[in-house]
Amino acid sequence: MSRIVLRDLTKSFGELPVVDPLSLSVQAGEFVSIIGPSGCGKTTLVRVIAGLEPATSGDVEVDGAPPRHARANKRVAMVPQQPGLLPWRTVRANARLLLDVNRAANPTDAVAPEALLDEVGLSGFLDRFPHELSGGMQQRVALVRALALHAPLLVMDEPFAALDEITRAEMRVLLNRLVEGKHVTVLFVTHSIAEAVALSDRVLVSSPRPASIIADIAIDLHRPRPTDVEDHPRFVELCANVRHALHRGMAL
Amino acid sequence: MTHQLLRRLLAPLVGIVVFLGAWELLVRTQHVRPFVLRAPSRIVHYLGQQAGDYTGAAWVTIQHAMIGTAFALLVALLIGSAMAASSFFEHAAQPVLTLLQVTPFVAYIASVVLWLGSGTKPAVFIVALVCMPAFTFATVDGMRGADPAARELLASVDATRWEVLWRLRLPSAMPSLFTTARYNVGLALIAAYLVEGGNFANEGLGAIGKRAAAFNKGDALWAAVFSMALLGTISLVLISVAQRLVMHWHVSQRRQLR
Ligand SMILES: Nc1ncnc2c1ncn2[C@@H]1O[C@H](COP(=O)(O)OP(=O)(O)O)[C@@H](O)[C@H]1O
Ligand SMILES: [Mg+2]
Repeated sequence: MSRIVLRDLTKSFGELPVVDPLSLSVQAGEFVSIIGPSGCGKTTLVRVIAGLEPATSGDVEVDGAPPRHARANKRVAMVPQQPGLLPWRTVRANARLLLDVNRAANPTDAVAPEALLDEVGLSGFLDRFPHELSGGMQQRVALVRALALHAPLLVMDEPFAALDEITRAEMRVLLNRLVEGKHVTVLFVTHSIAEAVALSDRVLVSSPRPASIIADIAIDLHRPRPTDVEDHPRFVELCANVRHALHRGMAL
Repeated sequence: MTHQLLRRLLAPLVGIVVFLGAWELLVRTQHVRPFVLRAPSRIVHYLGQQAGDYTGAAWVTIQHAMIGTAFALLVALLIGSAMAASSFFEHAAQPVLTLLQVTPFVAYIASVVLWLGSGTKPAVFIVALVCMPAFTFATVDGMRGADPAARELLASVDATRWEVLWRLRLPSAMPSLFTTARYNVGLALIAAYLVEGGNFANEGLGAIGKRAAAFNKGDALWAAVFSMALLGTISLVLISVAQRLVMHWHVSQRRQLR
């Protein structure tokens, strides 16, 4: 079953084309990354899929329906680049935020945020406020906030871009652990090659703006991904493949 | 936290004591004539003798100022939310609010008294009227400044307008509302004082001040002025405490490098 289907999607802002005719299908349970240079239209693509921005032309289906259905039914959980935590809410309350609005659409099997916070190592910080947390901890709260929705589709827009390299590496391991074997579909936007390869089943390489997919690279590293996956020769090889595709795109 | 809070309460007291000391010293050493400036000791002495009258009047004035401010805030939140939601409404309301803000309200006190009668009503009405524009602008600014990432996030699960207003926009307006409250305190008290002096109800510090001025009673006038200053200071301290408690999460409330 396909969670996301795009058929000849285009998006322009006035005269500016941001997404070129783009077709794509993401299967349920797949972890797909989109990698592309800054400004190529990744965020725009993600916002169209999440139903936050209308497409200019073409078809978008999420769970077999237009994105606004998925949105109304809370079927898409977003993790934005900036954590977007509310400074007046505690960690616990921030993790609940998406459950606290539009409650009618809450799934019956929503996960208790406390259990998830425990899983990401924040059980000692439930009653702290965002300003008392490090950047990595804030992004972990944002992750839990999305996972707590128990949505079948997780959309993450460069969630680790603002973090330091060491923390990013930790977050990759954590994210793999959180989503592996959970039947959740993930669309992950990044501009980090290592991140894309370490996390994904498939890496889609985008051209510079307007975005179009110029390579679709299967990542055949086995799951569950070992924590030292980035030392494997196959990992290095796949990173090189992605890098070459990116360079070809830039040269076009 | 409590230690910090104590210091925060103590600091304004120190400021006032130093100010009053300098004032007293000036009057005594420079032999300033009493109708130009009275020494604080003399004012306090007079206030002590008339304590009953002045606490009664101060209570009336503070009520006028507080009820008026509460109304102003309520109306400002309503109008401000609408302005933040619709740019047409914002552009329509802005000139009217500015007009209200720049019109010297002293000019229309008499009209309002004729319209609403004497006593509490005109005082509360004018306080509310003069405090409302600044609160409204603060509401709009604060709501507009709400974190765009959080707005997108709420939109992504189809939060209703109400939920966005309540969960995100209103709390985002808190910092600018507190800043405006500090500025509006003075305005509210002065408006209450002037309306009390301008109507025939004979209550409040404004009425005492007006009578004292009319009959050239310097002690009574200075005591009224002094009481007003005291009310202003107490209100500011209370606002600081409230801000500290309600907005502990905000950058402005954290210990900072100076
Ligand atoms: N709301 C908007 N209105 C006009 N232009 C926009 C808007 N959002 C994005 N853009 C433009 O679209 C292009 C792609 O932006 P974005 O999708 O944010 O890229 P990326 O996420 O890949 O860095 C940029 O040139 C940006 O200026
Ligand atoms: Mg982006």
